[in-house]
Amino acid sequence: MPAKSNYVANATPLFSILSPAQCEEIFLAAEEVLERTGVTVHDEEARDILKKAGCWLDGIRVRIPSAVVNQALNSVPKRVTLCNSRTGSRDVLLEGNNAYFGTGSDTPFTIDPYTGRRRRSTKQSVGWACKVIDALPNLDFVMSLGIVQDVPLLISDRHQFEAQVLNTSKPIVTTAHDIYGFADIIEMCEIIAGGEEELRRNPFMTLYAEPISPLQHAWEAASKLVLAARKGLPVVYTPCVMAGGTVPATMAGVLTNGLAESLSGLVINQATREGSPFIMGGVFTIMDMSSTIFSYGSPEFNLLMSALADMAHYLKLPMFGTAGCSDACVVDEQAGIEAALSIAMTALSGPNLNHDVGYIEYGSTSSLEYLTINNDVIGMARRLVRGIKVNDETLALDLIDKVGPGGHFLAEDHTMKYFKTETYYPELINRQRYDAWKENGSKTLFQRANEKVKDIIENYQPEPLPQDVQKRIRAIVERAEQKVH
Amino acid sequence: MSNYFEDLAHSVIAGQQDRVKQLTQQALDAGTDPVEIINQGLISGMNVVGARFKVGQMFVPEVLMSARAMNGGMELVKPLLVGQELPSAGKVVLGTVKGDLHDIGKNLVGMMLESAGFTVVNLGVDAGPQKFLQAIKEHKPGVIGMSALLTTTMLSMKDTIEVLKEEGLRNKVKVIVGGAPISQDFADEIGADGFAPDAASATDLCKKLLA
Repeated sequence: MPAKSNYVANATPLFSILSPAQCEEIFLAAEEVLERTGVTVHDEEARDILKKAGCWLDGIRVRIPSAVVNQALNSVPKRVTLCNSRTGSRDVLLEGNNAYFGTGSDTPFTIDPYTGRRRRSTKQSVGWACKVIDALPNLDFVMSLGIVQDVPLLISDRHQFEAQVLNTSKPIVTTAHDIYGFADIIEMCEIIAGGEEELRRNPFMTLYAEPISPLQHAWEAASKLVLAARKGLPVVYTPCVMAGGTVPATMAGVLTNGLAESLSGLVINQATREGSPFIMGGVFTIMDMSSTIFSYGSPEFNLLMSALADMAHYLKLPMFGTAGCSDACVVDEQAGIEAALSIAMTALSGPNLNHDVGYIEYGSTSSLEYLTINNDVIGMARRLVRGIKVNDETLALDLIDKVGPGGHFLAEDHTMKYFKTETYYPELINRQRYDAWKENGSKTLFQRANEKVKDIIENYQPEPLPQDVQKRIRAIVERAEQKVH
Repeated sequence: MSNYFEDLAHSVIAGQQDRVKQLTQQALDAGTDPVEIINQGLISGMNVVGARFKVGQMFVPEVLMSARAMNGGMELVKPLLVGQELPSAGKVVLGTVKGDLHDIGKNLVGMMLESAGFTVVNLGVDAGPQKFLQAIKEHKPGVIGMSALLTTTMLSMKDTIEVLKEEGLRNKVKVIVGGAPISQDFADEIGADGFAPDAASATDLCKKLLA
């Protein structure tokens, strides 16, 4: 064996938007925004906590000294683990460049897989979505893919969580209307986990909350950050910012303003209880200046997401990203293009908990067919990220020599050993020859996805929760219903 | 004079506020009727802007620059309109409903309405039924517009409509609604007069309702 010195290998492809120096520049700019401009906090308790932490208050306006931001960055855990709700298995490790994929949550509409029509999402549609996510191997976590709207809306968050947790054992990122809804959901989770400490040790649920851009923390959001910290449960905090609308039109301005929103949320959370698990989110995109939509498929959306991933890695914060979504109003070619770009870029840049797979219509509608197609796209992207391993075994010089000119590799042990691990086989993507494809009904990708979705809905059984646990969860939902009447 | 107005309208379309002010002042100095300046210069330019935006030939910031240019001219003309009403397409009271602080969409509607010649009273965010009621009594608008981003807060729209009925004001004002979770079905269900999915169609809707 020769000595091989100064050998550098790429274990994965290398991909980044911002250099460390650019990350630092943007981070310092965000700190300056927090010191100079500050944020509004529409929750008295959160303001008191911030004041005690050393922030400067002027009514509801809070300015945050950089030292306080730095303290929050020092105390926040650099990793968060999410678990399987049935087994407690620690499946999702939000750290470093690990990229996991899951769906999105609160679309008002969904495409009915049986009629093909766009309709209001319901408890049934959310249950179906969670079953499909549970069954798809490349989806790692669940968000509801719709707001439950066929129940009293003021407490629909409890129904939404029930529909989710009954139909999947994968970790759940859930929304709640307010801290009362959040408290009920925590109670449900504690029942499932077997206690408060058990849930904290092996959390299978994290709450999703968001500020209102630019630079505002509404009562609902701020109080959720406080409650999550008190409970020691992870919280995702996601500024949704629109370039040219709620933040500057320049990409650096978007990142600075959005990051300032995230960091001020982090400060509220860490000042409540140091060491609370916190996941930095960010759906940073443009306002399309013609239609005024919040774009889920623009190149800037992908660029900003990857840049924010660079920021998250620089700051050593677990990050909640966005991918597999589209501005297209139906699952068409545009939807495919936008999902492929965003999933590939996400997988390559490595934000940790990547949501909104299955969103169409700029985040207003969900589609289970789109989700199922994207399950394959995620598989393809993961193959890209695995890169190319170069060593004596993979160079296969002995084998090349053995087979020689004009031979073939089909029946070699080496081929048998590696063809499956070196190659990714998608499930729905067509690689059939024309005649076989025609024989099988000349189906489009969408049609194949629709068949798979219906098959899962009709035949797949998620791991059930024990009967008594189901009953106790139901009782919490009913208790909330009675309060609203 | 027609070239004059054409030049003024073009400057509005191009969003050149300084040029609009300069041309307006020149017209006034030459003794031109202020109402003519507004109708044939400033508003006729803005009408072209509206039409171009609708077909995707102009973008929102360009529309708002044009509106700013038009207003620059208006400020000069207004003091001279003694005893005459400033031409207005109608008055609209706008607000984001109770419990909701999301206001970019509502503000966009307000700016687009203003650029189409409407007078807009913006109630801001977290506006409950009483705030709308008060504004209707005070400003006597032709239309009120309510905005919500959340399924929980959109319920407040119905409360406002109920309060208007109780106060006997429901038939005196048109009610329109909008926001991400709102649909035509929801608007019908709560008894609103209209729903608009975006700012440009909100403007068209107000024109239609006040025609």
